Amino acid sequence: MEREEARSPDRSQIVKLAVLDDLLALGRANSLWPLTFGLACCAIEMMAAGASRFDLSRFGAEVFRPSPRQADVMIVAGTINRKMALAVKTLYDQMLEPKWVIAMGNCAISGGPFVFPGQYAVIEGVDRLFPVDVFIPGCPPRPEALIEGILALEEKLTGTRRWPRVKAQ
Amino acid sequence: MNLTLQQLADQLSSGFARETAGGVVRVVDYARTGCHLEAAVWPSAVVCAAELLDQRGFALDTITGVDWIAEGEMEVIYDYFHATAGWRIVIRSRLPRGNPEIPTISGVFPGADWHERETHDFFGIRFLGHPDLRPFLLPEDADYHPLRKDFTA
Amino acid sequence: MIAPQAICPEGTRNETFVLNLGPQHPATHGVLRVKLTMDGEYITRAEPVVGYIHRMQEKMAENRTYARFLPNTSRIDYLSAMAYTHAFVAAVERAARIEVPARAEYIRVVTSELNRISSHLVWFGAFLLDLGGFTPLLYAFDDRERILDLLEGISGSRLTYCYYRFGGLCNDIDEDFIKGTHDFVARMRPRLKMYRTLVTDNIILRKRLIGIGPISQEMCRRYGATGPVIRGSGVAYDVRKAEPYSVYPEFNFDVPVFPEGDSMARYLVRMAEMEQSLRIIEQALDKLPGGPVMASNVPRVLKLPAGDYCCAVEAARGRFAVRIISDNKEIPYRVKLRTPSFSNLSLFEEASQGMMLPDALALMGSLDLVIPDIDR
Repeated sequence: MEREEARSPDRSQIVKLAVLDDLLALGRANSLWPLTFGLACCAIEMMAAGASRFDLSRFGAEVFRPSPRQADVMIVAGTINRKMALAVKTLYDQMLEPKWVIAMGNCAISGGPFVFPGQYAVIEGVDRLFPVDVFIPGCPPRPEALIEGILALEEKLTGTRRWPRVKAQ
Repeated sequence: MNLTLQQLADQLSSGFARETAGGVVRVVDYARTGCHLEAAVWPSAVVCAAELLDQRGFALDTITGVDWIAEGEMEVIYDYFHATAGWRIVIRSRLPRGNPEIPTISGVFPGADWHERETHDFFGIRFLGHPDLRPFLLPEDADYHPLRKDFTA
Repeated sequence: MIAPQAICPEGTRNETFVLNLGPQHPATHGVLRVKLTMDGEYITRAEPVVGYIHRMQEKMAENRTYARFLPNTSRIDYLSAMAYTHAFVAAVERAARIEVPARAEYIRVVTSELNRISSHLVWFGAFLLDLGGFTPLLYAFDDRERILDLLEGISGSRLTYCYYRFGGLCNDIDEDFIKGTHDFVARMRPRLKMYRTLVTDNIILRKRLIGIGPISQEMCRRYGATGPVIRGSGVAYDVRKAEPYSVYPEFNFDVPVFPEGDSMARYLVRMAEMEQSLRIIEQALDKLPGGPVMASNVPRVLKLPAGDYCCAVEAARGRFAVRIISDNKEIPYRVKLRTPSFSNLSLFEEASQGMMLPDALALMGSLDLVIPDIDR
């Protein structure tokens, strides 16, 4: 009888830890600290997303950390080059778990407008180097698109979408 | 500077001729081509050209290369400008494609250092006397020259 | 500035170390790596290493028709995208002898000058951020958003516009744009005064910039520096006056020049340029003629006659020139992009010798670099 009680869902230790897990996920989602990793044009839209009109700070993500040791999410904003690839991979390796990657802009998704037959310098998409959690298309994507990408990452972390979806008009 | 364009062209032409370098300085149509004077010189004369222009207060704008594969030549184009008089001068020099070598002008214009490194990167043109001809825009271990017409990735 | 020798006795100062600044660094405005050889806090050698955002623009031009290369021109220097597209479009029009209607030229001037102001606002915010002040960034980006709203209304894009076409523009402007621009100009003038009292007259900024990073006229000449760098060293070289293009000769505007050559002079040049851009915009909107915005018989696929064609514009960072070498085909044989940040950065190694690191960063910020402009 006691063993059955221990196994029932609302009394076992695993369920108590699962609630703690949800709490941690909520905390992480609410305070994603991005790495300052603006490479090219998308970096300007990332700065605009952090500035006053679009205000990333509403979502807890305005604290851009220059050091990868202090950042949770790497927003790859711009084109990755063969010369830069090693530096990007090193930064990704230096970030501490749990870490996530947002590929912002067409260049980070697939090389963007710089892919042509015979191209010699551009890595066609940052997911050739390490796994990516959210892809935000656009050239450059609007700051609202970046915010939507961060909300999608929050949904991935917590399992539910906590902010209303904008309906197309 | 209180010379007319034609007087400047004549001064430079006689300066080039003294070096037995060949190359006449011509006045060209600014509205069509975007420059005032043009000259084609032998590769050995580019340093002399740079010094003549340096003495007259010109600044170096850019150095670039062109790969004329059909003619078996490479061309190096030097752009100079004069900030107060507003004149633009283009010096061109053709090199054999199999062995593209040309003296460096980085002793006269320090800004040429980077332009020549980039031209070497893209075309493989060797600038003799350049202090440091490592890859500039390409990765450090690059051994290819992408802007050549026969380049395949 | 106290010289290193005054601090420590002789014989104890013979060790330098190498510090890597970048390629990921908040103050390098993109992916620039500077290999610093440091003697304590003083720089003995600063060697910029570039190429981390080399995107093959010149090679792509040899693989694209002239029209398909237009989006690339916006991405060379994305903050000054209108001016860069203007240079390429003007070079092709010069070569193909296409007459641009007057209304299109006036609108090109208005949009280029609005773009110049928005570029200088980004520079202003980022420069102050490097020096340690976060607030001006927020104010500057707020003003910039208004410009972006205007330009988005006519071109559809916030940052990398592709608004100009060979022979004119892709869209005409509407009443909303004209009224919005007038409102913006009326709003911006008091804001520039506010920036003067909030930032320019701030004692901390003055101590950080006055006398820091002197660049002489001779150094500018030997490295080919243009733009606010050469105008902050006392030489009044502005492509809009020296090699006039479009309809700039019809407007009354000054070229701000400051003779000191230090970072403060370059800062003041850009702040004054924003004022002058507002003047040009007002005059252009007053004199805006009617008519079409596109030339009538531009072929769909252009073929330029064989030859060399060059066109230069005054972008926000300096002189941007396009040299197109054509061999009478639909794709260019060679396109050379002469970018201002390349020449402006090349003097950094010589100018930063013996400076303290924070001062060198102030110098680099005052050069206003955009790294994809250097790497292309």
